[in-house]
Amino acid sequence: MSNSTRCAACKSLRRRCSKDCVLAPYFPPTNPQRFACVHKIFGASNTTKMLEQLPLHLRAVAVDCMSFEASSRVEDPVYGSVRIISQLQEQIIEAQSELVKTKGEIAFHNAQQQQQMQQLQMIHAIAQEGEDQPSWLSSSQQDLFPNINQQQLEDYNYSNTFCGFEF
Amino acid sequence: MGGSSPCASCKLLRRRCAKDCIFAPYFPSDDPHKFAIVHKVFGASNVSKMLQELPVHQRADAVSSLVYEANARVRDPVYGCVGAISFLQNQVSQLEMQLAVAQAEILCFQMQEPNLPTHQIDQVDKSFLLSNNNFDDNNIPQYLSFASSSNVIQDPLKKESLWT
Repeated sequence: MSNSTRCAACKSLRRRCSKDCVLAPYFPPTNPQRFACVHKIFGASNTTKMLEQLPLHLRAVAVDCMSFEASSRVEDPVYGSVRIISQLQEQIIEAQSELVKTKGEIAFHNAQQQQQMQQLQMIHAIAQEGEDQPSWLSSSQQDLFPNINQQQLEDYNYSNTFCGFEF
Repeated sequence: MGGSSPCASCKLLRRRCAKDCIFAPYFPSDDPHKFAIVHKVFGASNVSKMLQELPVHQRADAVSSLVYEANARVRDPVYGCVGAISFLQNQVSQLEMQLAVAQAEILCFQMQEPNLPTHQIDQVDKSFLLSNNNFDDNNIPQYLSFASSSNVIQDPLKKESLWT
């Protein structure tokens, strides 16, 4: 990059922006604020060293992350991006607690439903037993009196001679 | 620090540790690694400027968070703290989904058996699930596009971590 198109870093540092400037690809002159934050928190020298230790294809992401951390620190000089981590951890604790409570509620309802099902089944079973006739009732009436002479029954006109009752 | 031993920062920087050394209260000589890592990532000069801009009662917390961030960046030179944030945001999303499913199940129970006791359900904050109010209120950007990294999660500001 020539002096007329220096990157934001070299502009801020008031130096010539060389062709192989490490910072140029990530700090375009259109966004001076980005480098200003990173420079304030990490320093140009540290930033350059950190980028030089990374493979080319990871540098853009690294700069984005450093830029985020630097701007978080500028906004919150005491906690920076660590505040976000703390808040997220608190949210996770709350969510986990809520989840445990809700799962307990589900277990409670499941247990109630099971109990109701069992009660219904018992009632049904008892009702079934009441409807079914026992085996000794299912045989025909004539077996009840195996020793009675059928002819004698017909001759006696049963309805007239049995204590006056009509059948 | 007068006649006593220099603080960790002055030892590393090989200079005389003055009585009013700004680093001395926060970088004792028995923990040289703490300053070394902060110096490596931020630089002593920047740390000094940052501390000078803060009231004294906030400097200890600031140093703790700087140490945390520096450790994060050394462990993960690409993502640093952002990796941890991304990982935690994923965790929150997953938990919110699980909670939504569980609460939908509770609502099914309520619809099937309206007379079932719901004293616990009434206290459940359904809005927790259905909106991202927590994120909106805190302006936490969504960094889900970054690969999440759990390499750096530990105790920020001495709070208990969930992932140790």
